[in-house]
Amino acid sequence: MTGALEVGLVVFVLACAVATALLRDVLGSIIAFGAYSLGIAVIWVFLRAPDVGLTEAAVGAGIMTVLFLLTIAKTVRPADDEVLESVDPRALAVSVALVAVLSTTLVALPAVGDGGSAVASDNVTEYYLANAYEETEVKNAVTAVLAAYRGFDTLGEAVVVYSAGIGLLVVLDREVLG
Amino acid sequence: MSDAEEPPVGNGSAAEDGRGLYVESPIIMTTVRVITPFVFTLGLFVMFHGADSSGGGFQGGVIVGTVVLMLGIAFGIETTRDWVGPQLAVGLVGLGVLAFLLTGVGSVLLGGGFLEYEVYPVPHAVKYGIEFVELAIGLVVSGIVTGLFFVIAAGMSDDGSDFA
Repeated sequence: MTGALEVGLVVFVLACAVATALLRDVLGSIIAFGAYSLGIAVIWVFLRAPDVGLTEAAVGAGIMTVLFLLTIAKTVRPADDEVLESVDPRALAVSVALVAVLSTTLVALPAVGDGGSAVASDNVTEYYLANAYEETEVKNAVTAVLAAYRGFDTLGEAVVVYSAGIGLLVVLDREVLG
Repeated sequence: MSDAEEPPVGNGSAAEDGRGLYVESPIIMTTVRVITPFVFTLGLFVMFHGADSSGGGFQGGVIVGTVVLMLGIAFGIETTRDWVGPQLAVGLVGLGVLAFLLTGVGSVLLGGGFLEYEVYPVPHAVKYGIEFVELAIGLVVSGIVTGLFFVIAAGMSDDGSDFA
């Protein structure tokens, strides 16, 4: 993760994130957020996580942008010509402090592609890689873990999507149509 | 009903005709008509092919849900909503969760553990079990995406209830 392309991607994603936070026009913010999601999706692919990248591209860059655009369709654009939102110094301090605290965990992460890290050399990982195809007959070990070894977790995930979605539908339906 | 109360500068350029963002464009309609079957097929492909390469029910479900979004943008959200019907999306969501749940309970009834696909009397039971579960997840996700799209979009039509 040191090539020029990767560095450029990270800079692009960070710039998009800052633009999303600072732009005064909500429409501009949403477009910057879509670009941010797309950049993150490409980074996931570079980090050899195409499953996550596909999800980020479909949900973050695709559906979320459309839903956000629909949501702001009723709002009014700011009348003045200022491009950037004025920054509240206290809020900025809190955000910077939070980022600083979270950044302390970065040193605990293994290097990208480190073969000796716990992620790669753990017994569970080795078991999945060695036995997933014989036991489940699917070539994608991620899917094997997701739907077979950890199927119960995935059921929980589906139920979370179900309850959150149905809850939103009920509330919004009442709000909009009732 | 409350068409008179127009915001000074709206983001929706066509908001004054009460159809929200909808702009009838032959280019968009033709494009959507041509690419819809391909996008739908891609969604199903991602859903089923998740077993052998990247992809899966969550991603494929979103792509299938996108088909309805594209139809809504091309032919008008209210029109598409009337055509699809309000029950279908919620029905699909319930069906998906039930199918997933019953797959797990069914393997318990057949004497195995929860979601232990081997006990089902079909050849390659684990592989097809995984595919079936992915399909169920896809149903849940696409139903939620479609339902949210319709409900959020309904807020900006001319119901009048929360426009004033």
